[in-house]
Amino acid sequence: MMDFSLSGTQRELVESAREFTREWISPNASTYDRSGEFPRDICREAFKRGFMNSHIPVEYGGKAQPVLDHCLALEEFATGCSGIATALDGNGLSQYPVILAGTDEQKRRFLAPMIEELMFSAYAVTEPEAGSDVARVKTIAVKVGNDYVLNGVKWWITNGSVASWYFVLARTGESLTGFIVPADSAGIVRGPKEINLGQHASNTVRVTFEDVKVPERCRLGAEGEGFNIAMATFNHTRPGVAAGANGITKAALNIALSYAKRRRTFDKKLISNQGISFKLAEMMTRLDAARFLTYKAAWLYDHGEDNAREAAEAKWFAADVAMSAAIECAQVLGGYGYTQEMPAEKLIRDAKIYQIYEGATEIQKMIIVAKLLRMKEVH
Amino acid sequence: MFEDLRKVVTRAADRFKRRFYGSTFRCPVCHLVLAAIDADGNGLLVCPVCGAVLEIEQVYGHIVPVVLDMEIFRPQPKARLHPVSTHLPIGLFPFALLGAAVLFLVSLLPAGGGRLALAGLVGGAPVLADATLVLLVLSVGFSALTFASGYRDWRVRYRGRPYRQITLKIVCSAIFLAVGAIAIALHASGLVFATGSGLMQLGSPLGLAAALAYLGALGTNMIVLATLGHVGGTLVFGR
Repeated sequence: MMDFSLSGTQRELVESAREFTREWISPNASTYDRSGEFPRDICREAFKRGFMNSHIPVEYGGKAQPVLDHCLALEEFATGCSGIATALDGNGLSQYPVILAGTDEQKRRFLAPMIEELMFSAYAVTEPEAGSDVARVKTIAVKVGNDYVLNGVKWWITNGSVASWYFVLARTGESLTGFIVPADSAGIVRGPKEINLGQHASNTVRVTFEDVKVPERCRLGAEGEGFNIAMATFNHTRPGVAAGANGITKAALNIALSYAKRRRTFDKKLISNQGISFKLAEMMTRLDAARFLTYKAAWLYDHGEDNAREAAEAKWFAADVAMSAAIECAQVLGGYGYTQEMPAEKLIRDAKIYQIYEGATEIQKMIIVAKLLRMKEVH
Repeated sequence: MFEDLRKVVTRAADRFKRRFYGSTFRCPVCHLVLAAIDADGNGLLVCPVCGAVLEIEQVYGHIVPVVLDMEIFRPQPKARLHPVSTHLPIGLFPFALLGAAVLFLVSLLPAGGGRLALAGLVGGAPVLADATLVLLVLSVGFSALTFASGYRDWRVRYRGRPYRQITLKIVCSAIFLAVGAIAIALHASGLVFATGSGLMQLGSPLGLAAALAYLGALGTNMIVLATLGHVGGTLVFGR
């Protein structure tokens, strides 16, 4: 049986997330985009309303929110501003390795406090010479007594300068190992905020580790398990990234539709021109397709099934749809789409990152091909 | 420290703007920040700076303005009194505040050595106090002219349409006039300045209270005047 309807709880979640977006995110999107400040006041309000860290397991104070529900809310937030949505959701990427491989003590120490008060954490894996190719990570962890000593540079770390702790992937001999590193450890240097093309409200910085001592009890899993932990995290988070991209598509469609219905050219409404109206039809169809991929990838995860291929499909497809929708939105707005006074140009800048972070589009296709190679027939 | 102060002021100003203006957007033609609340029942609003006739609609909290028309012929009063008169209070008032601040600092000096060291300034205090009063009277007096001419411009040039900027200017002008009048009354009453020496009477509790009220009134008016100037500037230049 196939059921495309949302449950009552899911509908309530979407409604409340939409209301929050209209009240807090969209009206402030331009301000944070221009200032580049971290939207702490919006995060505080989201935290109060229970929109942050809701995937933390119940035994540690969270709601163990299913991935599908998370995607539904995230799509709403990203419709207001994907930069602010990233700030609200950035914790998940670093928390999930702890949920997946952490000990009870680690979960109590690092996850439970994030339910009590507004705190941030960061996933510190990417390095200047190791992006999509995670196996190239150079940061090294050397065992000295009961501690590990970390040295290395982590790069483009979301939430990097506001985090209370980091999930760090470091080399221990030939293999990679995950660590939870408190941000107040001696030897951690946080760099300035990077000035990126878009998502200016999201905090992205360089984090340098210089002889940072990490107790053995902060190691995540066994030595050498880090790569698998880091990769497994993406099966959980990629549907969320796709949902963020869908939010951009939805914003682009709404803005273009609102404009086309009211703007007059050649003595008729802009939408009366087929060249324009077909763009809107295509945007709507692509949004629906991207959503179905996203929801399916999330649903598979929630049902304990392997979703690596579906998550990759959702992530690359939704990212490409968002990019093209943002560009088409600007096209519908004409010259006004090219100015900073209208929201379209921001959507273009914000959309681009979805084709890059958490595995570039090309990496997603490699994942899909790897799965195809193991199939005799595609059903 | 200066940076911290700037951040605090910016945050306070932003909070005030959010509350006073509500949802805002930029005119896509002249970039003036406009309040969505100023649109009429049909969602229409004419930009006071460039005359763009805008239809606004909110989708998902995003305000999407569409330029429907441009209001090219706008009535302009022949005698442009407001732009001229507005510079008089803005130019004169800061010097009144400066005079009062200098007099306050000189009055703080101990009666002995400190005042002897600045004998020239102490001797000139009566003249400075009189000059401060004159500047104060002129700036507040001219602000009445500025207010009246601004009100006429709003009725004629902007056709009495509601704009949050104009509302803010009217409120600030009324505050400037009222607080300015209080400052003049305090100055002229003899409660703040001693007759003869021209120095503030900080020794007596009543004199100290009057002096602080006087300086508080001038400080408040300086903030109000800066706000008026800034908002007025946006109505000329857009951004």
